[in-house]
Amino acid sequence: MATLQETKKPRTLKEKLLHTGKRIALEKERYILILPGLVWYAIFAYIPIFGLTLAFRKYMAKLGMFGSPWIGLKNFQNVFADPAFFASIVTTLRINAGRLIFVFPFPILFAIMINEVRLGKPKKILQSIYTFPNFLSWVIVASIMINILGQRGLVNSVMGALFGTKPVAFLGKPDYFLPVIYLTDIWKTAGWSAIIYMASISGIDVEQYEAAEIDGASRLQRIWYITLPGIKSTILVLFILAVGNLMSGGFDQIFNLSNSATIKVAETLDMYIYRITFRGSVDFGFSSAVALFRSVINMLLLIFADRVSKAVGGSGLLG
Amino acid sequence: MKKVLSLVLALFLVTGIFGAVAEEKTYDRVTITYTCPQVVAGYDYNNGDDYSKFILDKFNFEFQGTNVGWNDWNSSLITWIYAQDMTDVAIYNYGESTATEATNIVNQGLLKRLPDDWKDRWPNVAKVYETTSLGPMLEQLYGGTYFIPRARFFYNLPGDPLANHWCLWMRSDWIEAVGKEVKSAYTIPEVLEIAKLIKEQDPGQVGAALAPISMDEGNSASFFMRANSTYWDTFYKDADGKYQWGAATEDTLQGLKYWYQAYTEGVLDPEFYLLDYEKDMEKFQTLGTAGISFLGGQTADTENYRILFEQRTGNPQSAFHMANLLGGDGYYHQRDLINFWGAVCFKPDIKDEVFERWMDLMEFTASKEGYPGTQMGLKGIDWDFDENGEIISLVEPGTLLAGAVGEAKYPSLGHVLGSVILWDDLAMDNPNIKKEYRDESKKLYAERYTLSTPETFVKVDWNMWMNDSDELRRANSIDYAAEFANMVTNATSEEDLVNRYNAWLESQKGIIQPALDVLNK
Repeated sequence: MATLQETKKPRTLKEKLLHTGKRIALEKERYILILPGLVWYAIFAYIPIFGLTLAFRKYMAKLGMFGSPWIGLKNFQNVFADPAFFASIVTTLRINAGRLIFVFPFPILFAIMINEVRLGKPKKILQSIYTFPNFLSWVIVASIMINILGQRGLVNSVMGALFGTKPVAFLGKPDYFLPVIYLTDIWKTAGWSAIIYMASISGIDVEQYEAAEIDGASRLQRIWYITLPGIKSTILVLFILAVGNLMSGGFDQIFNLSNSATIKVAETLDMYIYRITFRGSVDFGFSSAVALFRSVINMLLLIFADRVSKAVGGSGLLG
Repeated sequence: MKKVLSLVLALFLVTGIFGAVAEEKTYDRVTITYTCPQVVAGYDYNNGDDYSKFILDKFNFEFQGTNVGWNDWNSSLITWIYAQDMTDVAIYNYGESTATEATNIVNQGLLKRLPDDWKDRWPNVAKVYETTSLGPMLEQLYGGTYFIPRARFFYNLPGDPLANHWCLWMRSDWIEAVGKEVKSAYTIPEVLEIAKLIKEQDPGQVGAALAPISMDEGNSASFFMRANSTYWDTFYKDADGKYQWGAATEDTLQGLKYWYQAYTEGVLDPEFYLLDYEKDMEKFQTLGTAGISFLGGQTADTENYRILFEQRTGNPQSAFHMANLLGGDGYYHQRDLINFWGAVCFKPDIKDEVFERWMDLMEFTASKEGYPGTQMGLKGIDWDFDENGEIISLVEPGTLLAGAVGEAKYPSLGHVLGSVILWDDLAMDNPNIKKEYRDESKKLYAERYTLSTPETFVKVDWNMWMNDSDELRRANSIDYAAEFANMVTNATSEEDLVNRYNAWLESQKGIIQPALDVLNK
């Protein structure tokens, strides 16, 4: 029986459509599996793109998104006149660049560590322990942190009892804000994020490890020469995505862990958008202008990371 | 003679019946949805206490109340209004910072315009409405009625401009223990001095948990900034009639210095910026670990606050002292509170019968017959009128009528079920509240007038309230309390504080100057 590859290459649009249809029919199970994801993206990611038109309009609820008066770049002029906007960009980049350096490697380390645990039961227990915090909301984590890091919290009490130190405002000093953000991020998400690397590790041919063991490779050497190269493409893809997200993300965490004392180092773009949209006077046009600006920068960063990845010999996301 | 008598009797019966019909209007069942932070979350008003049953039966409706958090009140309601998904009735948090937003939503037709004859149809509500001063002003601005502000006072208005009830909560036993005088008004420096002594001497033997002054961020801003600088977070007209920014005044900087002093001397709760809503109150009223707070002093609550304080901390009610707070200059500072709090508004496409039902309910609660019930429960059971028409209480003194579920007789009492006259009005005459506390409250109100000048306690500037420019809206989005709290917690010295303050003033010019230009146009 002739396969699709063996058939003549489609030339006309009709032939192309027919060809695509046949391919889908042949692999319909896979397409059915990705269908919910596609629907989700269509509803929550692609359709809302049309909302960005608000960035160029003065929003009038009665007139709707497309009937509201067009005001050109007025919203952008207002955005760029606000010093808090530029400060929030710097803050966002600072926090998220730090995440790439300090938080991003931890799931990889966790995945490798868990992979190296040979006994099944302890491995599962460890995995559950690391994964559990992911299911706590940031509101809960923030409450826990207040009890642990507050001036009358666990850490200060222990430090006071052991060393007689004065209480430290871990949650109220800008200097501690970033470490608190990164540590809580690692504690909460690293176990969960490690799952994708563990899946990638499980795809590495076991024979490579067996051969290396016979050749006398140590455990560290096996990790360095087999495991890490084996998951390199996964790491790169996730790294590119993380770079593409440099201008957003982490709103829940920062919203719950920041306060007035730390707000100058905590007001990321998301926090800024939240403040101007819900804490001040509602101006959807203004908020949309900020959001559009953020999306464009994120897109540029994503393309940049993709190109860099390819330039250094890795794979990319964008063809 | 018999015929005449029969005729008179028949006429009497007929008019009596007609009278009864006119009095007891019958209604078809409707469902009314409602939003307000005072809706008791999780409380089933439809199967709740006898007061809610009385109101819901009388006006024959099912009540679906939505509770919104105090912090999310504006944002949630405005979002629902813009999404054209608001409840039938809502309480808009009308205020200086939300006024421009209100104008915007009215201009967009997102709220119901009341029928032009509404004042004739609901005369009691109209009478209350006139006393709010905001209502008629908005009517003039919008060319119709879109909001019915709820009056703080109707029979007992303390004065014009209207003073706020906010006051110092102090431990009188601790003040005496540190050798200071218990009095009815203190300046900010006096309070800081007492707090310092409390910190040094710990008269209550509280230990490490002691908070000489416990206030969350918002109340700290009210204490140090608002009480010292009348215009700390807004614009004002100077002697030349030109608008200036209040945040840039000397009084504001002085308030900021007081705040910094309290923070660095350790008399203010060291993590005031982490305190959630009412946690400062909890430290004073429940835990008994705070010496001073700056919280509500509503006449209606003066006794309840003390009863709970006594029950929870084991201290006598006399240890709970209330006093006025004055600025460093010795004067009481405030901008006109204006005689309203929260404004009733309706969704634009509300069904006529639902709208009319709520108006009828408000008409009842604004009437002499219905108004006492909003705070005192059921007529004939909890209260009544004596032969002189004065309200008398029928319950044991100390009976908790309104309050939390499980504690109060009628958790539904309050401002939710149609009240247009708020509590403090009746509270001043409410026989259920100890006379001693009512007199204290009246005295505190009176002092706010005698301890102020027309420059420190100022009348409302309607010109600014009614301005709905985008420039002013953006200027109103500054979170002053958070900005000043940030300076206080991060400054390394008073000099550094002043530098931070000046740098911040400079950084805000891009937002402030356009607003000033609009106001001064």
